[in-house]
Amino acid sequence: MISAISTAADAPSLHQQIDTLISQRHSELKVVPTAICSDAEFIRRVHLDLNGVIPSAEVTRAFLENSATDKRQKLIDDLLASPDYALHMARLFDVMLTERRIAAGGNLYDVPAPNWREYLAESFASNKPWDQLVRELLAGDGTDEKLASALKFYLVRDVAPHQLTRDVGRLFLGVDLQCAQCHDDPHVVDYRQSDYFGIYAFLERSKMHPLSPRGAQLAETAASKTTFVSVFTTRSGETSPRLPGGEMIADPPLEKDKEYLVKPEPKVRGVPTYSRRLKLAEQLPRAGTLGFTRNIANRLWAILLGRGLVHPLDLHHAANPPSHPELLAVLERWMVENHYDIKGFLREVAISDTYQRSSLMPADSKDLSEKSFAVAPLRGLSAEQLRWSVLQATGRIELHYARLDAQTKKTSPLSEASPTPAWKEKITRNEALERQSVSLVAAFTGLPGQPEEGFQPVVDQALYLRNSTKLLPILQEDSGTLLARLNQMSDIQSVADGLYLSVLSRLPTEDEMAEVRQLLQSIKTPKERREPLQALLWGLLLSSEFRLNH
Amino acid sequence: MAGRQSRTAASEISRRAWLQGTAAALGAGAIEQPLRAEVSTLSRKQLLLLFLSGGASQFETWDPKPGTKTGGPFRAISTSLPGVQIGELLPHTSKIMHRLTVVRSLNSNIPDHFQGHYAMQSGRIAPGYPVLGSAVAKLLERSEDVLPGYVSIRRDGPKAYTDVGDAGFLGAKYEGVRVVNNRPPENLVQPAAVKPTLAETVDRIRKSNDERFRRGRDAAPIDAYRTTFEQAQALMDRREIFDLTKESGADHEQYGKHEFGQNCLLARRLLQSGVTCVKVTHFDWDAHQDNFYWHQIRCAEFDRTLVTLLDDLERRGMLEHTLVVISGEMGRTPQINKLGGRDHWGRAWSVAMAGCGVKPGVVYGSTNDLGTEVKDKPVKLGDLFHTYLRAVGIDSSASYSIGGQTNPVADPAAKPIGELLA
Repeated sequence: MISAISTAADAPSLHQQIDTLISQRHSELKVVPTAICSDAEFIRRVHLDLNGVIPSAEVTRAFLENSATDKRQKLIDDLLASPDYALHMARLFDVMLTERRIAAGGNLYDVPAPNWREYLAESFASNKPWDQLVRELLAGDGTDEKLASALKFYLVRDVAPHQLTRDVGRLFLGVDLQCAQCHDDPHVVDYRQSDYFGIYAFLERSKMHPLSPRGAQLAETAASKTTFVSVFTTRSGETSPRLPGGEMIADPPLEKDKEYLVKPEPKVRGVPTYSRRLKLAEQLPRAGTLGFTRNIANRLWAILLGRGLVHPLDLHHAANPPSHPELLAVLERWMVENHYDIKGFLREVAISDTYQRSSLMPADSKDLSEKSFAVAPLRGLSAEQLRWSVLQATGRIELHYARLDAQTKKTSPLSEASPTPAWKEKITRNEALERQSVSLVAAFTGLPGQPEEGFQPVVDQALYLRNSTKLLPILQEDSGTLLARLNQMSDIQSVADGLYLSVLSRLPTEDEMAEVRQLLQSIKTPKERREPLQALLWGLLLSSEFRLNH
Repeated sequence: MAGRQSRTAASEISRRAWLQGTAAALGAGAIEQPLRAEVSTLSRKQLLLLFLSGGASQFETWDPKPGTKTGGPFRAISTSLPGVQIGELLPHTSKIMHRLTVVRSLNSNIPDHFQGHYAMQSGRIAPGYPVLGSAVAKLLERSEDVLPGYVSIRRDGPKAYTDVGDAGFLGAKYEGVRVVNNRPPENLVQPAAVKPTLAETVDRIRKSNDERFRRGRDAAPIDAYRTTFEQAQALMDRREIFDLTKESGADHEQYGKHEFGQNCLLARRLLQSGVTCVKVTHFDWDAHQDNFYWHQIRCAEFDRTLVTLLDDLERRGMLEHTLVVISGEMGRTPQINKLGGRDHWGRAWSVAMAGCGVKPGVVYGSTNDLGTEVKDKPVKLGDLFHTYLRAVGIDSSASYSIGGQTNPVADPAAKPIGELLA
């Protein structure tokens, strides 16, 4: 099948190849995919996926009324160019890379969250290639001020070599070698104890070197032997650093008295002449490393399509093959040819018909398997997507920015061209909104150290949405919020349109129109309208249509 | 882990099927009786899981090896079972050994916290299956139940690696409701500022929107989400079940005022209120250093509270229909490390049970002299899962039927341990 794809200059673009390979499989499976989604479905989905927040009512209305044929492509490009793209990707990769872990030393030696998020946001704003980003995460020892924040990857894992080994395998190579720590994995033939210890050998010499009052750096010793014993066979092994499927990398011979650039002393950070960790940073993020390209292609695919071609994302092995191996190969090749261009990759996938399927199945169709990508999956919003979408729907974002702008005009009427990049400015502008919604995020995040995949709603969250006194203020009618604006409209149709466009990014159906009318029509004063309007807003925010990306 | 599995559906194991399973477990005579009569005479089966998180040492508890190089400094003491000894750190428990069922020959083979937590509770290695509490909540569900079927009581904190995607493919309705640090779930009370009429309209709007949105779409996540609101309502209506101040001072005293004691008291209260399954997690058994000091402290809490709890359940007539399971995610290594600790070990360790459906006074299987390997009657973790289900009257060879797919409720490669079942 791969040979059918031409590599010549006129080769089909990636999104065409995606659609071809996915439809080929539909024919094989005798599956009829759902229709292309409506504009309303599309604008909500693509905003959530690329900017992490639902669109505003104005943006949605304009998009629905726009008759240009290339408007979807244009929207995708706009969203990828928006400062929100960088912020959203920073949140997404923060959760993916740290899994909300908390360093054992807490703030004493961890990288402060704002610094880390800025580092990630800057990386995505500048579309830093993935291999470079991974190199920075693995190579940093905290001494280079510009890259000091990248050290968080090590610090939230307390520089514990076993934890790091597992997560380097999972997050950068798509293989969870955990079981191979103690023996060749009895359940997964592909995962060998020697693979595990090959990665471990790169990392075990690195240690935390705490500084005070804040911040830490990595120290490294110049020598150690990596040995392991299988708990099954009691056969022992010894290994040099090695990536799965690769060759062992021998250390250069140690020259007496030249082992260290800086000799470790109590309170002195040891720096070896030869660093195994730097070797890992050099060797791992490369197209030649087994699993490196596949992993990022698969993870980015899953961000837009709700599940990986390999699924779960970190369990690639012979007994759990990709659902579409040819497609995965195409995605990998594209990644390498385009030098790990994350933005370009997301753009191609978002343009594809495969991404733009409706979640609505024809009345007579059976359940379509998620694996077939024949229907848009229903996915829970992440805690962060939910936060920003609640703030957007209620009009809190708009109100807050308007206030900020008014203040800025008063205090510095002359300030014009700001040297601060837009994404960075937005981080500052968002601070108050984040403070306002801390409890909302807390209620919807999982346990530290657990990958957040799948939709697992729990009763605590429903209790929060119904009863939390911390959510209530966000839902109140304040001057300038959605409720205040709706309450000023005399025409019930306009109220319903405004409400549905703001919360569900679409116009109301006739049934819904009738529901709104029934609640509002006999009411005379704006004061009496408050409660039913709030009930409408709150009820829709609690609906599964709002809670799910669909 | 199980959390990765997002698909959920209203599964239907036929009520009739499990009742027949129950009848079979009761013996041939029972099956002759009319099914209807049986429903009314069957008492409500329940489950209490005491989970020793971090991994308790089998050497310092159920399977002591005094005087050997692996045995550590503690003695073994005689118990109410002639010829059977347990660790001296469990003096109260030693007096009620005749009421317990202990397996000393478990080889779960998992030395990792997360994997062990999941596997010991779900009876499987493969991800996506419901854990014991969720499975039992589902399989013993009655149509008149309003409360959530499974409540998990644990400590707060980043190292709470005990709730690992509980319900798997059974979905949100069977997720454990978390009670953290003995506080009832947050937000149980409608704020005074919210008028009842407002709350009612909010609920109506939500429901009618869900109904429209659900047409033509994958119903599973929509239903899972909707269920959380129904459970929220049930908990709000009966929030007094979490109110420990309603328990007597004497009970507080006897259970122990420490976290584990209070959690066990709450567990008893919840079981009494009709929750099908409660899990209490006792933390900090992960003694990589100072294992012996650490086990002295942990065992002291555990020992006294366990006996109080079993006495209390018995006195109230609850033990005969409540299975109590005492397990962790792993045992601890025979080798004592340089820091005086024991590390993770899954190859030869112990679990214990009491109450409904299991034979009291049984010690099953054994390990070799140094406790490094199982010597006889080896038990796999899947066997235990079958045994627990059978003890509460569930046919462990049955299947869930979900969305046209069937899934065995327990690993078909494993089986119940007949010698342990009453």
